[in-house]
Amino acid sequence: MKTRLSAILIFLGPALFIMTVFIIIPIALSLLISVTDFNVYAIFDWRNAKFIGFQNFINLFSDEIFWKALFNTFYALVVAMPLTIIFSLLFALLLNRGATYLKSFFRLSLYLPSITNTVAIAVVWAWLLNPRYGLLNWFLGLFGIAGQNWLSDPKWAMPSIIALVVWKAIGPNMLLFLAGLQNIPDFLYEAAELDGANRWKQFLHITVPSLRPQLLFVSVMLVIGYLQLFEEPYMLTKGGPLNSTMSIVLYLYRQGFYQFNFGYASAVAVVLFGIILALTAIQMRLRKYQE
Amino acid sequence: MKKIVISFLLILLAISICGTTLKVWAMGEEAKTLPVVTQEFEKENPGVKVEVQALPWSNAFEKLLTGVAGRQLPDVIQMGTTWMPSFSAMGAFQDLGKYIEKSEIISEDKFFPGSWSTCVYKGKVYGIPWYVDTRVLFYRTDLLAEVGYTEAPKNWDELYDAAKKLAERPDMYGLTFQTNEIQEFIPFVWQNGATVIDENNKLKVDEPNFKEALDYFARFFEEDIVPKAGSGNIFQDFASGFVPMFFTGPWMVSMIHEQTPQIDGKWAVALMPEKITRTSFMGGSNWVISKTSKNKELAWKFVEFMSTPEVQLQWYQLLKALPAVKEVWNYSELKDDPFTSVFGEQLKDARATPNIAEWEKIESIVEGVLEKRVLGKITTDEAIDEMTQKISKILK
Repeated sequence: MKTRLSAILIFLGPALFIMTVFIIIPIALSLLISVTDFNVYAIFDWRNAKFIGFQNFINLFSDEIFWKALFNTFYALVVAMPLTIIFSLLFALLLNRGATYLKSFFRLSLYLPSITNTVAIAVVWAWLLNPRYGLLNWFLGLFGIAGQNWLSDPKWAMPSIIALVVWKAIGPNMLLFLAGLQNIPDFLYEAAELDGANRWKQFLHITVPSLRPQLLFVSVMLVIGYLQLFEEPYMLTKGGPLNSTMSIVLYLYRQGFYQFNFGYASAVAVVLFGIILALTAIQMRLRKYQE
Repeated sequence: MKKIVISFLLILLAISICGTTLKVWAMGEEAKTLPVVTQEFEKENPGVKVEVQALPWSNAFEKLLTGVAGRQLPDVIQMGTTWMPSFSAMGAFQDLGKYIEKSEIISEDKFFPGSWSTCVYKGKVYGIPWYVDTRVLFYRTDLLAEVGYTEAPKNWDELYDAAKKLAERPDMYGLTFQTNEIQEFIPFVWQNGATVIDENNKLKVDEPNFKEALDYFARFFEEDIVPKAGSGNIFQDFASGFVPMFFTGPWMVSMIHEQTPQIDGKWAVALMPEKITRTSFMGGSNWVISKTSKNKELAWKFVEFMSTPEVQLQWYQLLKALPAVKEVWNYSELKDDPFTSVFGEQLKDARATPNIAEWEKIESIVEGVLEKRVLGKITTDEAIDEMTQKISKILK
């Protein structure tokens, strides 16, 4: 028994150590800080922070920008998630067909956005969406469609960001669905055709149910990911215009690192954690129920 | 083996006793050019090595924050004026009072008052100005001449009139402003004799002069004289005449020459337009010494070195950064340059934003409300109310 334990420790040790130091301890500290008024005066000298109970959370409740950030983030989630699933599944289906040409090329080009650095992407997209010099408005102009101020109009800023994140997210989800599709035995489709089912019915009754595990995984990961939307609004719009692209994490970041309200920012983090936990639990429950 | 280790350690000891390293953190272009000047300092102080670490502006703030929190700061730091209040509040800097008293090179009257004010926090001096910047009007001389202005607009009425006439050209504008940048808005407030908070931290946004400045600024947006989406690329827009006037700082002078040489000779800079005064915004960088530094005397010597007129002039020649030391402005190189002389004149009436820890938050509120006002989402009275309500909470 003794040797087994030391073997376990040696193999798990480094990973456990890293997890503890870089994940567990910071999370615990964050929980601790969220019930204090840790701010600029406490950075150099921790003793300046005072315990204030749930005051941060109470203030959060009456903070209109927090609610806007919450609304914006859910707006992004509700629009981006179905779009991501639809497009990923669509491309996976297209890549699964025998008749598609240049499969490797499309697989690569659809996957590339997800592994490209967000900062680089943001710089290029900022140019593409530039109202006067951008390619998008030029392209729309060819069809006589008026170009919009994509990133500086409160109406269009969030949809532009959503388009960016969906485009970026297609890659890995598409591959996941592709793997799932390739595991569906052909005879199921053949049997369905013999029974007179058309392509749409086959899709609905064979493909989708077979992809349940992938769909569950993708939807859980997307909820967790999109609720933490940060890089794209940070790089493209900094939360503007008029806070229309302010996401929860971006708000947390501004409160913490620009305004030094670390206690308040930690409270935001705790609330976000609670929301994601709740939604994930609900999703897992729903799936169990469906089985 | 033992002998080698001991002699190695002795040599190290000898080096550390004879020579000290002064660690300096600097940002952007300044960091790249600093070694040219520090070489001289090393020559004047044998045994001293100056180690400059370059931080890109994009993440310098975070790195400084981390440095303060982790007590890992260098001896000397270049500190942007707008960052001074936050970091001073953290208690990271050394109080320079007693060094200034003993110094023959540095004293308050050698520097511009606006610049010096950014170094003072709660009555104590925590920094020494290195270089300054201020904002002036950049304008297309040829396009303004076409609408009847042979000289730059001198006051609020002329600025409005010229911009409006220029905006009448089809698909063109007269001017550009950002919707939410306090550094562009607050000069107009100051020019009208108003302010956001006064020296006693009393809120002054409900005064009629503040309201007038807000109305004036918003009018440019309401009447479509400025593009609501801002300038796509200021160089292209200035060169094409899409935006024939805008306000910015000295760094743009050489950048415009480099990026759009085709308009050389067709543009110039001018002072801020006058209402009651012609006040402009003042920025720049100061030198600070960290409280945890082990080489404070040496660090102070370095700061003194950077503040001598010779080094200040050299720095101007290297980067065209405006010297913080007033007497350098009497040299003909600065006095006779058509661009630099305008900045020099503007510096006589330039202010910095209040050096208090709460300013970040106040700025954030003003900018948010300003954006809503200029985009027409709220009226001026509503804007004033919102600012009053939110800023009062911070100041109490």
